[in-house]
Amino acid sequence: MMRRRKALALLLCSVMTVGLLAGCGGKSGGSGGGDKVTLRMIESLTSPKRTELIQAAIDRFQDANPNIKVELISPPFDQADNKIRTMLGSKEELDVLEVRDLTVAEFVNNGYVEPLNAYADKWKDYATVSAVSKSVGTVGDKLYFVPNGLYERQMFYRADWFKEAGLNPPTTWEELYDTAKKLTDPAKNRFGFSFRGGAGSNGTTDAMILAYNGDKVNTEDSMFTKDGATIYSTSEAKAAMELYLKIYKEASPPDSINWGFQEQVQAFTSGVTAILLQDPDVIQSLQEKMQEGTWATAPLTTGPTGKALFAAGGAGWGIASKSKHKDEAWKLVEFLSSPTENTKFSKDYGLIPIHTSATEDEFFKSGPYKTLIDMSNKPDTYVNYKPPFQYPGTGQWGQTTMETGQALLLGKATLDDTLKKWDAYWVDQKNKLKK
Amino acid sequence: MRKQTAFILSGLLPALLLVLVFTYYPFFQGIVMAFQEYKLFDLRSVHFVGLDNFTAAFSDPKFLTALQNSAYWVFCSLILQFLFGLTLALLLKKQFRGRGVYQGLVFYSWALSGFLIGMIWKWMFNSQIGVVNDMLLRVGLIHERIGFLSDPKWAMISVIVANVWYGVAFFAIMLLAALQSVPSELYEAAEMDGANGPRKLWNVTLPYIMPTIIATTLLRAIWIFNDPSIIYGLTNGGPAGSTHILSSLMLDRIIYAGDYGAASAIGLIMIVILLLYTIFFLTATKSEKVGDF
Repeated sequence: MMRRRKALALLLCSVMTVGLLAGCGGKSGGSGGGDKVTLRMIESLTSPKRTELIQAAIDRFQDANPNIKVELISPPFDQADNKIRTMLGSKEELDVLEVRDLTVAEFVNNGYVEPLNAYADKWKDYATVSAVSKSVGTVGDKLYFVPNGLYERQMFYRADWFKEAGLNPPTTWEELYDTAKKLTDPAKNRFGFSFRGGAGSNGTTDAMILAYNGDKVNTEDSMFTKDGATIYSTSEAKAAMELYLKIYKEASPPDSINWGFQEQVQAFTSGVTAILLQDPDVIQSLQEKMQEGTWATAPLTTGPTGKALFAAGGAGWGIASKSKHKDEAWKLVEFLSSPTENTKFSKDYGLIPIHTSATEDEFFKSGPYKTLIDMSNKPDTYVNYKPPFQYPGTGQWGQTTMETGQALLLGKATLDDTLKKWDAYWVDQKNKLKK
Repeated sequence: MRKQTAFILSGLLPALLLVLVFTYYPFFQGIVMAFQEYKLFDLRSVHFVGLDNFTAAFSDPKFLTALQNSAYWVFCSLILQFLFGLTLALLLKKQFRGRGVYQGLVFYSWALSGFLIGMIWKWMFNSQIGVVNDMLLRVGLIHERIGFLSDPKWAMISVIVANVWYGVAFFAIMLLAALQSVPSELYEAAEMDGANGPRKLWNVTLPYIMPTIIATTLLRAIWIFNDPSIIYGLTNGGPAGSTHILSSLMLDRIIYAGDYGAASAIGLIMIVILLLYTIFFLTATKSEKVGDF
């Protein structure tokens, strides 16, 4: 009796041990059973609505390709890139992944993503992919991801408040400050500018410093001037930042030093702030939460020399270099990037489509998107630059500017010291890249 | 005999393996990483750097602020949570109508995740559209909106308020359970000796539940020290790193800088601090017991 019980216990233990070990092994060999291939795909810019749209597109892909099954992983936005890094670093099975302009250099550096040129050359719709989209997905001379839409900043403003005060949308940063100041009335809890001092604050500081440096900026290597110094080392940068401080102190909610994307947009939609600089993906929530006619769009504000530098940002689909099903993975990427699918996704989510053929669509020629098209029609004023995505430090730049920028806004650091820090950061990046 | 040992070992194996793989391996790996340059952005150049991560930490003003904040955060949160928790437990000890419902409502905060609490309080503390400012303005206590999360003077206080709100329930639950175990004869005897309310509390109730108080404060202090979730959700260490505590700074090093070496170094420093704290606390409470019993 005793012996039998012992044997049973032993058996149970061994079963558990085996089970445990099997659990550690993770999923492998998902492609068993006939010719059906399972692709594992992960997204980065997750939001519930977006996941729904992507899943719907995947369903259409699966209907068209019954022998391919796609498993979509949707980590929460905040942790998504880290999750992707960890999965790639630990060689977990992954076929298609969402690469961002911010992460592409780092992924290429670590050998995580596959160049797509060989596939794209055979793709019939590649010809209509816009040059900007191609450049966003390219590092060096190789394409590493096909963007699923582009983000470009523009101005959103409270048309009703402007009308009431007899103001026109500002065209320069100086005007933006004046206008915003006129609309600021803390007693009524109204402020001119939806400032963002928290995560993503470099969107404003960099835009201002670039606009002030104007023609001096090397648009191919945009953190540097044509002379090779960083854009933060110039007297223009200092002028820009002095205005930046004034905009925060005199025309923005004091609380906004800690605001990120959500608070910035929320303050605009709930009637606290009058001017918001944002990407087209906010259009949907503005349309939902605000009455028609209370808001409108305008082009970006320019620097003293009449130039505004802007960049198209984006994320898109790439293929993991360790993928065992690269051909099938490309099939999926090609499907998602086709003019039909991409235009649909761009319309539904609020992005600029990647195919030049799509911008002919009436949808993008009217309403809030029109400003963006107008801007791209004036390349002398609105100069396109390539963001410094080739530097692996780009991903950390946001965090660095946020912290040092907050210290500056709080008066804990001087402007000169802050600019010196920013200058040193990019000098260091340059040196590392040269190695 | 040998067979017996083998049997015992094989019986322990699953549990041992689980602990080894999921607790001790990461733990020792973390210690190793504390002495390495280990950056997620550049995994090709992982190498040993000696004490560099530690010297970098101690020469970083952010780390020193976080160290100071940690002490402040643990001390204030613990004291306030304990006092409010004890008061609540004493109030809930008495029978009254609807006590069950009330108890459920009060203890509810303990069931929420720290990150969620951070997000909720973040909106409440918002100076332009937050409910806290709005209420204070309407009541007339303040005349200007306060930037609870943007003013470094207020930010640390605000995160502590949220943390106190969260942790009061824990003390209330634990202390209430202990209070209910105090035998009523003790009170009767005390009354016979002519003890009044505060006297009973001081001489009967508190000494009786002292072991629970010691155990809960010891535990809770460690939890508070280790828990970055509220700060992460509420301010993410901002503005300008003025609300980071060690654990949130460690998280920050991982999430934003991808610097596992620096994060592990901070983790190791935290272990040392907690070790010292535990030794101190256990010796202190030991002598207390000797005095009491």
